Amino acid sequence: MRFSDQFRTGWRNLSRQKLRTSLTIFAIVIGAVSVTVMLSLVTSAKSFLVSSAEKTGMDKRVIVTGTQGLDYRESTWNWPDGSGKKIDQSVLDQVTKVGNVNSATLYTQVGSVSAIVLGGTELAFKNMYFEAYTPNGTIKHVMVAGEELSDKTNGTGVLVTSGIASDLGFKGKESELVGQKLTLKYRSDMGPPEARKDDETATIVGVAMGENGDGLSVDLDWAVKMDRIEWTENSGPNGQKTTRVESQIEKNGYSSVWVDVKDKNAVEAVLNDVKSLGYGAAAGKEEIDTQATAFTIIGAVLGGIGGIALLVAAIGVINTMVMATLERTREIGIMRAIGATKKTVRRLFRVEAGVLGFMGGLFGVVISFGFAIGLNKVLNQQLADSGIADRNIVSISPQIALVVLLITTLIGMLAGSLPARRAANMDPVEALRYE
Amino acid sequence: MAFVQCSGLKKTYTVGDEEVKALDNVSLTVEKGDFIAICGPSGSGKSTLANVIGGLDQPDEGSVMVDGIDLAKARDKALSEYRNSHIGFVFQSFNLQAHESALENVISPLTIGGVGKKKERRERGLKALERVGLSDRASHKPTQLSGGQRQRVAIARALVNDPQLIIADEPTGNLDSSRGADVINELKRLNAEGITLIIITHDATVAAQAKRIIEIRDGKITEKAGAQ
Repeated sequence: MRFSDQFRTGWRNLSRQKLRTSLTIFAIVIGAVSVTVMLSLVTSAKSFLVSSAEKTGMDKRVIVTGTQGLDYRESTWNWPDGSGKKIDQSVLDQVTKVGNVNSATLYTQVGSVSAIVLGGTELAFKNMYFEAYTPNGTIKHVMVAGEELSDKTNGTGVLVTSGIASDLGFKGKESELVGQKLTLKYRSDMGPPEARKDDETATIVGVAMGENGDGLSVDLDWAVKMDRIEWTENSGPNGQKTTRVESQIEKNGYSSVWVDVKDKNAVEAVLNDVKSLGYGAAAGKEEIDTQATAFTIIGAVLGGIGGIALLVAAIGVINTMVMATLERTREIGIMRAIGATKKTVRRLFRVEAGVLGFMGGLFGVVISFGFAIGLNKVLNQQLADSGIADRNIVSISPQIALVVLLITTLIGMLAGSLPARRAANMDPVEALRYE
Repeated sequence: MAFVQCSGLKKTYTVGDEEVKALDNVSLTVEKGDFIAICGPSGSGKSTLANVIGGLDQPDEGSVMVDGIDLAKARDKALSEYRNSHIGFVFQSFNLQAHESALENVISPLTIGGVGKKKERRERGLKALERVGLSDRASHKPTQLSGGQRQRVAIARALVNDPQLIIADEPTGNLDSSRGADVINELKRLNAEGITLIIITHDATVAAQAKRIIEIRDGKITEKAGAQ
């Protein structure tokens, strides 16, 4: 029997039991949709993560610290306490000379500011970073509004993340924040009372996506000034006045050196070279990989749940096909009597089950595409509200669609195998007698 | 060599605790173009004999050769092919596929055998329907046909592959006498065209029209003189 005839016969037999066929297909559709959507969500999230990381240069970033053995995340938050090697200009010079280094900057956390004020809103530094670096292109952001820190920004420019913008009441209108003056209030417990400094005024130059939490970024030179306190002390019996200076950076050094590697593939080499200089080094790639792995695991779990739905659907197929073999016992007998081989009968039922699987997969994939379109509409609005340029981040790859289609068809055929064998092995004489 | 040659056929069924000898050392030859009637009471083994000659069943012992094909030893594929293209079966209960039209039923052996293109099958099917005088009922479903018409569709199906042998198992059993006579006449006409005909029946008037009458009782056969 030709395949086209088997297919036609299978299709026809299925359409004889429309309700049952629809329900069986519906079950497969549920499985196919859950597998497709869940896998697509995870792969989309993963590729969004990776593409965002590429935009900020995180994938090519190496952070050099005075303490060895820190991972990437720990390195970003590293707060030198004098226990590790001191990071200063000489380290930057050394690191810049390492092969494959595109650019590098000293990086520090600023600890001397306790709060920021804009208009009537004051935000204390809680769960908020205050970083400083030389704006030479080593550190990049995904911009929501305005621009990166640069030489043009006059030394007192500040870049805030969208989370801060939102806390300041500028969610969805980040561009209005650009150009506004932000007051930086010093901590009151730095040095003696006479060392207290007046508040600083910063100009917001841009709003960026937070890569690793929310916070502010300023020019390194300014941060060094902010870090430094100076006061005069009366010391000695003659009332001599001594000028005292205290600076965390001078004492313990900078937090780290951030390096932009020329090529993603050279990251490993740079890591090794920096480590051989005796410093700690961690790559942004590690963090991306860790997160990507987490997504993969989530994907596997979600895909597995979808897989269970497909498995249940497969049981539905078995049930439907067993019913079909029972109902059509006599028909099978007739077919055998007029010359159908066991193989032909087996194939007929398997093809029929395969058609069930294929239809379920097809509808499932189509519905999934519709779902993605709908989800993107919602997400696009949210992305636009957050000032992110990316659109349509949920995408169903043709590969996933194709694989799901293939798998549901295979599952159908596999589930149909047992009933098909039952049908094929019926004794034709008995089958013809069946009422 | 005879067209159909059975020798020493044995077939035993177990019904409950009882062993039923459906065929007990049956030997039979049928020449090409012959018309034989196999008669006997129900349970005598006549259907089993027909099924064995028709390749639907295989004997426990003995040999059955039809047109040089050894059916007793044949595997499923060869046996199926034999049923598909060498013989035509006509059953008491017509055994038409209810969801298919008369034409689709008629061409189903061609479809199953993978014979020809769609158009060719259709033409052959229509021709077969024409032979039994039902070309105007091609698109009717079996339920839209009378019993006699259904049986003629079944005959057309048996004919479509140009078989050399037609086995009809109680072809008139579900028909009134006039429709039954039509069907027998149809089969006789085919026999006159050269097709070997084996009719299983317990109807004496049907049997009387055969050239040879084989009587079977408790799995054993005796031959009576036929109409010839």
